[in-house]
Amino acid sequence: MKRCAVALCFALAILFAPLSALAGEKNGGGGRPDAAEDYLLHCSACHTESGAGVPDLVPSLLELAPLLEHARGREYLVRVPGVAQAPLSDARIARLLNWVLENYSKLRPEPPFDAAEVASFRSAPLRDPVGFRAGLTRPAAQAAASASD
Amino acid sequence: MSRLDRWLEDSARGLARAAGRRSFLARVGRLSLGVIGATALPILPVARANNDPRTLPDEVEGSQGDPAHCDYWRHCAIDGFLCACCGGSAVSCPPGTSSSPVTWVGTCLNPADDQHYLISYNDCCGRGYCGRCMCNRNEGERPDYHWYRSNDINWCGGASNQLYNCSIARVIGLASEQQPER
Repeated sequence: MKRCAVALCFALAILFAPLSALAGEKNGGGGRPDAAEDYLLHCSACHTESGAGVPDLVPSLLELAPLLEHARGREYLVRVPGVAQAPLSDARIARLLNWVLENYSKLRPEPPFDAAEVASFRSAPLRDPVGFRAGLTRPAAQAAASASD
Repeated sequence: MSRLDRWLEDSARGLARAAGRRSFLARVGRLSLGVIGATALPILPVARANNDPRTLPDEVEGSQGDPAHCDYWRHCAIDGFLCACCGGSAVSCPPGTSSSPVTWVGTCLNPADDQHYLISYNDCCGRGYCGRCMCNRNEGERPDYHWYRSNDINWCGGASNQLYNCSIARVIGLASEQQPER
């Protein structure tokens, strides 16, 4: 039954909330899964099907531009535990990240994420994703001092 | 003063002779139905968790099982009370409850068309335990450390009212493959 205490659920959700996973090619029903299907299966449970997330609980994916503009923003998007630990290949995660950025934030990362970049970051999931992200969004001087993992 | 009293009395008696109370009530009733009747329907206390037309499996012919039983194909990884036994259905919450905004998503095989579908297991929140039709199937479900694949979590933790009542199983799309954890 519902064994997990509400407080624990919140703690888990907040800790791991950001992204979750990614990948694919074609949409459901036969071929290989496309990025949209990977999003539904690996991300939508928390970020919701619309990508809007849940206020004060799960971050929205609709406005990721400020994050991507930061020098370590791409690193954050891959190392956030929901992404780094998703049961998907590096290539599918790269495809899913590109899809999420374009579909929900109307962004085309340049260059697009690829398997090599994902592999280089995901081996070290963030231990403090909330703190890391806060460091990215603070003024530059503070961020440089505190954006550690 | 007496003239005013007399005028009011005459007016009231005249109105009473010309129009019965029932005609007044009928007119008010018609007005109420016309003005607010149509808008009242959407606010009935039934949470439609899935207004999306992609609920394909309901249109698939063949034996799919009973939505009020644990062996219903969509319930391959459900853990909780079936909303179909609690005043709701397999895809809608009972009156007085609402669907949790966060949930977990897995895949189930529909025996009617031998197709895998993406299933969103939403908890319905806002009232205490329903207590009927308890099911615990765990195909593809993972331990709590893999939290977004766990059906042990009370997903009402993300709702405004965290009381757990029952669970639904929404189809949110076709699955090209079984979820990788199986």
